Amino acid sequence: MSLLDGVKAAVLLFVAAIAQVSIFSQAHVFGAVPDFLLVSLVALALLRGSVAGAVGGFFAGLLVDTASLGTLGLTSLVLTLAGYWIGRYGETTGRDRAHAPFLSIAVVTVLYELGLLVVHFVLGESAPAAAVVRSLVPAIVLNLILTAPVYALARRLLRPAERAELSEEVQLLG
Amino acid sequence: MAPPSRSARAAVLASSVQRSKPTPYPSKARSALIRRTVVVVLVLVALTLVTISFRSPTAGALHDIQGAGSTALRPFQIAATRVAQPFRDAYNYIDGLTTAKAENKKLKKELIQYRAAEIRASAAAAKEQQVERLLHFERLPSFPNDYRAINAEVTSFPSGPFTHTLTIAVGSSAGVRLNSAVVSGYGLVGIVSNVFPDTAIVTLISDPDTFVAARDLRTRVRGVVGTGAGGTLILDHVSKTEVVRQGDAIVTDGTHNARYPSLYPYGIPIGRVSAPPGVTDTANFLQVQVQPFANLGSLDAVGVLVPTHQRR
Repeated sequence: MSLLDGVKAAVLLFVAAIAQVSIFSQAHVFGAVPDFLLVSLVALALLRGSVAGAVGGFFAGLLVDTASLGTLGLTSLVLTLAGYWIGRYGETTGRDRAHAPFLSIAVVTVLYELGLLVVHFVLGESAPAAAVVRSLVPAIVLNLILTAPVYALARRLLRPAERAELSEEVQLLG
Repeated sequence: MAPPSRSARAAVLASSVQRSKPTPYPSKARSALIRRTVVVVLVLVALTLVTISFRSPTAGALHDIQGAGSTALRPFQIAATRVAQPFRDAYNYIDGLTTAKAENKKLKKELIQYRAAEIRASAAAAKEQQVERLLHFERLPSFPNDYRAINAEVTSFPSGPFTHTLTIAVGSSAGVRLNSAVVSGYGLVGIVSNVFPDTAIVTLISDPDTFVAARDLRTRVRGVVGTGAGGTLILDHVSKTEVVRQGDAIVTDGTHNARYPSLYPYGIPIGRVSAPPGVTDTANFLQVQVQPFANLGSLDAVGVLVPTHQRR
């Protein structure tokens, strides 16, 4: 990943994090909130791999925790793992597949919400499992609606990586 | 060398061939190592931040850094909010329009429910007023001696001009007997004309076949209250020589001859003389119109008077 790509990715995630905290967090639709930041991170991870996904997730989470004055590192932890995992999927199975962004978003939305729930629960904070489970389907739908435009924007900003740039350890069929 | 019973191919397959260990490309192995190291370091840093932030949420260097970071990010947040404000306003406007219809429908439904509840409450209040009046009547000194009241709810009302009965929710199991006088809180209502275990039929004093021995409370003039022409109550059999005035109260006369006991104990208010008594040359008696005290058309609760001592 070139320096220019790094700057573009940082700008994308910064804007996404600010937009998430300032705008999207207040847009409650059917009890769920569209996660613009998560969709942007997934797009970045699919296009630039697991390391970019993990690093991007870490700093984007840090921005969110700082801006919202939440428990520092909490969102970072979950987004780091989400970015890494989706990045690995993009490097291996999901490579060159048109449905990869949508599948990634659907799965990572569930894992992200449940991950946050678990972390909050472990920390002894409010963890309303029933509300989270109820909002899962609307959250998936909202994030899937955001996926196409955000992924298209990310593709325009960050050209798809060459195969040589990505890890070729595993390439599964599916 | 292969034994004679085995083919050379089998011997080859059976032999253990030492394969060389796969040697990964140095660059790829390094890439995987870097990748894993990065993610592990980031997770550890995140966990450390969580731990520090959780242990000292209101003080410490990290808290100060977070505050400074939040302050630095505030302009961006405000800018984002301002950029989004028109869209948010538009969304809220459209959302308000769409929800207004549903809310209107819901409010209309609630209004209907509240109206029904208000009507029920008013009806209950009216009934309570009648019950209270009835209880007050039963405590008055003028309440007939040797009688007790069995209070009952009216379950069906006169359904038209040709019916002069109502049904009450007590019967023989509660002690109600045939020909017991029935009163409301205002005065005489009628008489029990049929009794069932848990219900009874009351024939009203407005029934054409009902007659009640009565007297003018002021002038002590006696007569019989019955139904006259046009369905109005009249005090009949009052001699032309007697004096009855408009506004006089008419009460039940009670029993004067033990051989012919009256069904109605003495002193139950029946009504008030509503017009100056009419005198005609052809009639033998005065024409005295009586307005009943009890509103016979809207009774909710009545009391059945039963003797405290069983009659033989």
